[in-house]
Parts: sequence; structure tokens; C-alpha cells
Amino acid sequence: MSGSGLIALGILSVVAPALPGIAGKTKSLLTGRRGPPVLQLYADLRKLLGKGAVYSRTTTWLFRAAPVVVLVTLFVAALLLPVDGREASAAFTGDLVAFAGLLALGRFALVLAGLDTGSSFEGLGASREVTIASFAEPALLLCFIALVLATGDLSLSGMLGTPLAAAWPRAGASLSLVGISLFVLLLAENSRVPVDDPATHLELTMIHEVIVLDHSGPDLALILYGSAFKLALFGVLVVSVFVPRAGFSTPAALALLIAGLGVAAVAVGIVESAMARLRLVRVPQLLVGAAALALFATILQLG
Amino acid sequence: MRDAAQIVLLLVVLSDLAILGTSRLSSCIRGLAAQGLLLGLLPVLIAPQLSVHAVSLALGTVIVKAVVLPWFLAWAIREAAVRREIEPIVGFIASQLLGAFALALAFAIASRLPLPALHQPLLVPVSLATLMIGFIVLTTRRKALVQVVGYLILENGIYLFGLTQTESVPFLIELGVLLDVFVGVFIMGIVVFHINREFDSLDATRLTELTD
Amino acid sequence: MTLVALGVALILLGGLAAVAMARRPALGETLFRILFGAGCVAGVLPALVVLSGATVTDLRLAPVTPFGPWVFGLDALSAAFLLTVLSVGAACAYYGLAYLAHERAHRAVGVAHLLLAVLVAALAVTVVARAALPFLIAWEVMAVAAYLLVVLEHEKQEVRRAGMIYVVATHVGTLLLFALFAIWAGGTSDLSFAALAAHAPFPGARGGMILAVALIAFGLKAGAVPFHFWLPGAHAAAPAHVSALMSGVVIKMGIYGLLRTLLLFGAPPPWWGWAVLVLGTVSGVMGVVWALAQHDIKRLLAFHSVENVGIILLGIGAGALGVAYGHPLIAALGFAGAVLHTLNHALFKSLLFLGAGSVIHATGTREIDRLGGLARRMPGTAAAFLVGAAAIVGLPPLNGFVSEWVVYQALLRGASTGGMVRLTGLAAVVLAFIGALALACFVKVVGVLFLGTPRYPLAAEPHEATPAMMRPLVGLAAGCVAIGLVPVVVVPAALRVGSLVVGAAGAGPQVDVGAGPATAFTAGLALSLLVGWGAYAAVARGRKRLEAGTWSCGYSTPTPRMAYTASSFAAPLLSVFRSFTGVRTHRSAEAFSTHASDPVLDGVLVPAWRGARTAAMWVRQVQRGGLSVYLLLVGVAVVLSLLYLVVAGRHP
Repeated sequence: MSGSGLIALGILSVVAPALPGIAGKTKSLLTGRRGPPVLQLYADLRKLLGKGAVYSRTTTWLFRAAPVVVLVTLFVAALLLPVDGREASAAFTGDLVAFAGLLALGRFALVLAGLDTGSSFEGLGASREVTIASFAEPALLLCFIALVLATGDLSLSGMLGTPLAAAWPRAGASLSLVGISLFVLLLAENSRVPVDDPATHLELTMIHEVIVLDHSGPDLALILYGSAFKLALFGVLVVSVFVPRAGFSTPAALALLIAGLGVAAVAVGIVESAMARLRLVRVPQLLVGAAALALFATILQLG
Repeated sequence: MRDAAQIVLLLVVLSDLAILGTSRLSSCIRGLAAQGLLLGLLPVLIAPQLSVHAVSLALGTVIVKAVVLPWFLAWAIREAAVRREIEPIVGFIASQLLGAFALALAFAIASRLPLPALHQPLLVPVSLATLMIGFIVLTTRRKALVQVVGYLILENGIYLFGLTQTESVPFLIELGVLLDVFVGVFIMGIVVFHINREFDSLDATRLTELTD
Repeated sequence: MTLVALGVALILLGGLAAVAMARRPALGETLFRILFGAGCVAGVLPALVVLSGATVTDLRLAPVTPFGPWVFGLDALSAAFLLTVLSVGAACAYYGLAYLAHERAHRAVGVAHLLLAVLVAALAVTVVARAALPFLIAWEVMAVAAYLLVVLEHEKQEVRRAGMIYVVATHVGTLLLFALFAIWAGGTSDLSFAALAAHAPFPGARGGMILAVALIAFGLKAGAVPFHFWLPGAHAAAPAHVSALMSGVVIKMGIYGLLRTLLLFGAPPPWWGWAVLVLGTVSGVMGVVWALAQHDIKRLLAFHSVENVGIILLGIGAGALGVAYGHPLIAALGFAGAVLHTLNHALFKSLLFLGAGSVIHATGTREIDRLGGLARRMPGTAAAFLVGAAAIVGLPPLNGFVSEWVVYQALLRGASTGGMVRLTGLAAVVLAFIGALALACFVKVVGVLFLGTPRYPLAAEPHEATPAMMRPLVGLAAGCVAIGLVPVVVVPAALRVGSLVVGAAGAGPQVDVGAGPATAFTAGLALSLLVGWGAYAAVARGRKRLEAGTWSCGYSTPTPRMAYTASSFAAPLLSVFRSFTGVRTHRSAEAFSTHASDPVLDGVLVPAWRGARTAAMWVRQVQRGGLSVYLLLVGVAVVLSLLYLVVAGRHP
């Protein structure tokens, strides 16, 4: 456990809810609207935390446990990432598998909570979520393998921390492909356009939003915060690959990280205003494309 | 210059994969045009010094591969009113996976070929990959126009392989390649219109109906 | 070793007691419970001792036995499998007592308990046998006992069909094993494993032939694609506790066989490692895709056994490649992952089968699309099943994660070394794909079985399983959690088995595989989940809570029929794989359903069998009954043989 890592994690957890706001604001400005304030999510969270909750009569304890599981898994996953650019708060050989496993555990809980309501809309969302995840997870692992090959390290702390900076001059082309692939995964895992539209208002077309249709009050607050934090987590992955920050002092590295996250959120907003949502049958194709990029990055390392 | 050439070659592979993954004919043609432009840049980037030969080859390539052929194809899809490949023989996900494996295979083969050391180590694997992906497009799609695109990608692969030999082989060979492409497309174009008139369809599998 | 023999004897005695006391079943079953339990404890203790690093002496029956001495021994490999056999065997036997209790009136339940005892004893003998003949005898007893248990409900036609396919498949496997030992021994009469090991290394094609035959024979037992065709039918037809034992333990004998073969054979050639790796990827992906298509809970779980055998084979493949290319660490990790996943899969798969048994017991149907909302009616079973589901998907902090983590490590370390071994990285990607698909499948199972509302009105209100049926479930779930929380204890033991198979026991470099920090991770995660839940509960206590109907987007009268079904849930994923699933989709205005078939069994083997039968019918035309025709045939045969001799130019 490094002190600066924990401080970085604290800062990350504070700035996370601003990211969806930045993406939304970018989209609004680009499409000629004023849009909600960037910090809207903070206000939403405060309001929801003060409310009571409504539970469906069909639900069980699983429904109430899911938001907690989602949030805890995301925080533990963040511990495995070198948020300060040098080393993670916790690391072990092969912890990239644990990172993927934690995301899967959160997804397992959330999707089961959706099915717990017995609504066909939530079943629909659950089915889509696991379908997309089935293609996103191998792509994520391919990205990690390319990073393992670039740095020779089997833990996220090494793959994204100090050794990565040394690998850039050698494997720049490969690493930028990995970065692009990770950005596509960021869009897919966080239910952004072109995979899902966070602003949609028709239940039949939603993915993430429809799973949490029945959550309310503090539960919904936890889930909304979890989504924002997950976006930040993938943002850290992308920023760490594109901007290795091992050479900077801790404050500079953190400033760079926050700036990088902001840029990533703006990029998400630009993608959202430039593209339409893909038809659902085409989403696996997009993710296979991302996997193909990562595979190409891996092959470049081997060659 | 070497790094620039490397990036251009990577982009060539990306355009291959993009064409493989799209069902819209217009995106296919745009991808092909982008690839043509990239191929046009390469002779200049690879040549040890800027020569008339390299520049003229680059210009010719850009004109034929990035302007004339895409325009011709775009005209053809407008005339024939086809916009999408609806039912490929192999699905888009499967063909993209095939493409990824072709890529791996190309790099594996290239590292074992007994070739003289080149200035640009990526040239041979990328040319092999482009060849194979062109072949995949050619064989897995039904629409004759997409097959033309596949054929052109295949030709691009040959062109890339030709670039490894620019110092030793005379100019005529590249010219021959370009002409070859042109003639090929011309013939295919005639075929396309013929099929369209006779059967009201651009489905090449229906060519089997022409037997006896 | 004497303790193991005592244990086997006690288990058999327990089975006999259950039959002998048929008049007073309660007493018989109590005796069975005590003797069986004592037998398992007697067998598990030496296994644990061996796994912690000690050695035990072999048991030899030398002078009077045919084909060399009959040796029984307990090394780390045998111990790991013995532990699996006895721990899961005991849970299944105890569950079987409760599961079959209500059938005492119209079925010979005592015989079923005896057969189960025989099966467990045979399994135990199989893994400790150190000579070909006792190994084959135990193998055959195991196959026959399993067959008899599969056809326990023989009044059903589908059960008889599944049993027939099973018995044919398993005997083909046994026949191949005879061939294997015959080729290996090469005409010598000493068939003890020590003597067989002394034959290695083999020049020329003989070694390749041994390995190829072993792969097919043991692959058939393990149910690897394309040799899996017998497995789903047999595992679905058997009673729940037998399915649990077969899926959890019996198929693992194929894995044991492969590892034992490798241990005796020495370094395999690279092609064998690649073949195992490819078999593993195909089994893993196809197993889970086919499982997604199933609506019968037991067939679905059976296909997941195919998937998990695929994961185990990935470990063995990585191990074999590590040996072949000279990377002992990768090899030890691969074999260790395979062994650990074998144990883990035995635990959670039997847990899932027993949980499914409780559901079937309570509701009377195996069709998951007819069920729903059972979590409110059977909370204990639901919780245990959820643990099993999370474990099989490989989620931290449970045991499935630990073994998959070891297998991943083997594959990733392979990817980051030089040479051809690097291609194992692709297998790691496939493993991620398998994991994600398994998650989809178990979300479907848990969601449709236990959550939401029933899709159809049930005949009777389902009830929670009896305590006697719950106890084995709780025990197995506790095993899953315990292994998940302390990788630091189990991973070194598994590595000991792995390096035994590599043949570098103690000699290999001691590299830190990270079991300590991994323990901190899984235990820390479990603790954080508990703390998070506690904090949430404390905060939520004072809050206002309302209960209402599920929000169905303005629709005022939602009916249970509107709940999402398993068919619909799996449809998007299956549509991606439509060319290999063998799934037929039925759509109509008000209903959507899919029907699954097995491409290998229904697509290849059954047509081949029909073709063979048609051909045989044609041959039967010769059989006309007239003596002159027969004489003519004999004459033709003699002439043809003479002609052959003339052409071949040799004298008999």
C-alpha cells in the first residue's frame, strides 16, 4: 500500500461523477443545446441519498445487495490500478485476471438484480448486457496481453505503471493500438454511444438504464455513482496507456490524470454527437473489431 | 521517414480490417480509397531519396487507386442501386475473426520467408495480410461489387509486395499492375451490369443459374 | 496406504449394510451413513498428509497376481484425486439418502446406495492403482456401476436410450485403454506402472501412438468435444446425486488418466500439447455455447461439465507445452491449475447438480422456462445454488477464480516467454471468452429458476428442501468459499502435484506465483463486501421503505407470462453462434422458443449409425435360408482366400 496511491484513489473517487457531466455537456454544446450543468450528477446523488426507497414485491435480498456489490468491486478494482502512474495500492502476479473477475462480479450482481424484478424489460437489458460483456471481456484480456508483452510484467501495477513508460519508444505503434481498443471498450463497458445511449427514453432500446429501472433512492444513487466510477476506471486505463506518468512527481501525475480523464470524457461526448447508436446485432462486431486491433497490437509485439 | 512508413503500413492493415467489418458498400469504397491514398504515400516514404520514379509512382497510384477506381465504383453502386451486403456467405464477425487470424498467419509466414533484409520489416507481413484479407472479401461476399473491392484489395497486396523490389525492378512492372487492375475492374463492371440486366440482381451466387 | 484400503472396505461395507437391512431401511441407512462417512475420513486423512508433502508406503500384492505385481500407492497426484472422490462422494451419498427416501416404497433404494458405494470405491481404487490390471478392473467396475445408476429410472424410454449411448461410449473407451496398455507394454508381461514407466522413452511412432490413444480414450471419459456426445444425456437421465457424482468426479478420471500417462511417459512431443490445448479451447467454447441453448437444467449443467473439462484441458495443454519446450514453471503452473480446477469443479458442479435436484424434487420439472421466483420459496437452496453459480463462473472470491487464475498464469507466462509457446496467449483470450459466456449462462439459470415470478402456475407450491438435503449443499458451498478465501494453502499443494507431473519435484526454481497476495486479495474482497453490506444495512435501517409492484413501464396488469424466459435471454448470444449451436428456433405471434440438438450426436453419430444399419439390412439379404446359397458363399470365400494367397505370394 502506497500513500500516494491511496490519495490518488481518493481524488479519483471525488472527480468521477463529473465525467458523465463533461461528456453530456460536450454533446449538448456540439449539437447546439445548452445542456445540464457539468456537476449535475453531484446534485442528483445528494438528492437520491436523502430519499427513501421503493422495492418491488417480487424482489429478494439480491436486489438490495447488488448496488453494494457493484460499488465494492469497483473500488477494489481501482486498488489494483496504478492511479498515481507509478504503482498500484495492491498488486499481485496475474492480478489482471482479478480485475476482469471483479468487473464480472459486479456485472453478475447487477444483472441478477435486474432479473430479480421479474420485469421483461429488465430481462431484456440483462440479456443484452451479458451478450455485450461476452465480447468485451476477451477484447480486454487481449489488450492486457499486449501490455504484458510490452512490459514483461504480469500485474496491472507493472503493465500500466513505471515499466510502461520504458516500453513506449520500443512499442509505440502497438501501444497506441491498445489505447484505441481500450477506448472502444470504455464506450462498450460504460454503455455509451455507439453501444448504448445513456440519454434514451425508450425502455426497449436501453441496456444499462433498463436494468436499473426498479432501483430507487439511495440504491439508485449507489448505482449512478458506480457507473460514473466505472467510467473513471476505464478512463484511467486509457490515460495510463496513452500518457505514461511514471516520470512525473505525484502532484503533476495526478494533474495529468485528471486532465486526461477530462479529455477522455470530451472524446466520449464527441463520439456521442458524431455517431448514432449501432443496431444491437452489430455491437458484437464492433467489439470483435476492437479485439482485432488488440490482436494486431499483440502480433506487432511478437514480430 | 521510416517511422512514418511504419505508421502508414499499420493504417493499411486497419483499413483492411475496416473493410472486412462493414456491410455498407459506400463505407467499403471509402475504405478502399483511403487505402489507395496510403499506398500512394508509401513509395515516397520508402525510397532512400526523393526520385522522379518514386514521385511519379506515388502520383499514379493516388490517381488510380484513390480517385479513379473509387469514383468508378461509387458510380456503379449508384447505377445498380445496391447499398448493403445483406447476406454474406460468412458473417461479419466470423470474417473479421478470419481476418485477424490471416493477420497472425501473415506475420508468422513473413518471419520465416527467406527474404533479404529490408529497410521496412513490416512491408512483407502487411502485404501478405492485405492479400489474404482481399481473398477473404473476394470469397465470402455475395454481391459482385463487394467482390470487386476484394479483388482490388488483393491487388493492393501485390502492389505492396512489389514495393519491396522497387530498387531492382523497372517501372514497367508497377505500370503493369495498375493497368491490370484497371482492366480487371473494367471487365467486372461489364459483368456487373450484365448480371443486373439479365437477372435483376447482383447476387453472384446466382451466376450458377447460367449453367446450360 | 492401509488407511485408504480400510476406507474403501468401510465404504463397501456401508453399501452392503444398506442392502442387507432392506427390511428396516432407516437402520440400514444410518449404518450406511456411519460406515460410509468413516470410510471417507479414513481415505481423506492420508490424502491430506500426502498433499502437505509427506510420503506413504505402497501396498504390494506381488507373487500370486497376474501381469506383474499389483501395486497401490498414494503420491500427490493420487492424493489430489482421492480427496476429490471422497469429499464429493460423501456429499452425494448423503444427499442420495434423502433424495431417494420417498421412493423406498416402489424402488430398490438400498441397491442404489450399494451401487453408489461401489462406484465411489471403484473411483478410489482407480486413482491409487499402480498397475494396469487393477486399474482396468476398477475402471470397468466404475463404468458398470455408473451405468446401473444412470438407468435407475429405467421405466423412462429416454433414460434407457441415454444409458445405452453411455455404455457403448464408455466401452469404446475401455477397449482403447486395453489397446493403450498393450502398445505400451509391447509384449512384456509386467504391467505395473513402474515397469511401464521404464519403457520410456519410445523411439519412432510408438510413443506418438501411445499418446494419441491415451488422448482419445481418456478424452472420451472426460467428455471433451467431440467425444462428449454421451455425456449430457447420461448426466441428465441419472438421479440428481448420481449426476452430481458423475459430472463432478467420474469424468475427472479421464483427467487423472491423462496426467498419470504424462507422469509415466515423460516429456510429450509438442504436437500433443497443442492437440490438448486445441481440444480444450473447442470443448470450452462449444460446451458453454451448447449449454446456453439448453432449457433442461440438468442437460445445461452437463454441458457446463464439457466446458470445464475444456478449461482443465487448457491447463494440461499449457503444462504439456511447458514440458515439451523446456519451461518447467509454466508446466507446473498448468498442471497445478488443471488439478485444482478438477477439485473445484467437482465441488461446485456437484453443488449445482444437488441444488438442481432439490428444485426438481420440489417442483417436479426440469424445464427452467416453467419455473421462476424460487428464491422466495426455497431461500436456502437458492443461496447455495448462487454460490455454486458464482464459483463456476470464476468470480472472486470463490474457488473457481483461484483455479482459473492459476491456469491464466500458466497461459500468460507462456505468452511472455519466447518461441512457439507464446501462442498460449490466444488460449488465455479464449478462456476469457469462455468465462464471459459462462457468466451469461448462469445469470440465465439463476435468474430464471430463482428470481422474478413463476412463468407458469406450478402444480403444487414448492417447499424448501429438507435439512437432510440441505446439509450436503451447505458443506459443498463451504468448500467453495474456503478454497476461494485461502489460495495460499491450496495453491502450493496444487503446485506440488504439478511439479510431480513435470517430474521436477523439488528441482525446479522456486518462483513466487503470488499465492500470498492473492489470498490477501480474495479475503480482502470478501471482507470489503461484508463491510459494505453492513454499512449499507446500518444506513438503510432508519430509512422509509415502500413496497410496490414491479414497474413495468406503464403497463397496468403485468402477468407472469410476461417474465423474460431462458429462450429469450439466450437468443442474442445464440444468434451470433447460430451456425454451430444446432439450435432450432420457433417463432410465433405470442411465443418464442428454441430447441437444442447436439450436432455431434444428432448430426453425425446417429445418421452414421442409421447408415450402418441400412447397410447391414442390405447384407442381410444374403441370408435367404437356402443351403445351396450358403454353400456357394463358402465356396466363393475359399476361392477368394486362395486367390489372395496367390496374389500375395506367401504360404500360410
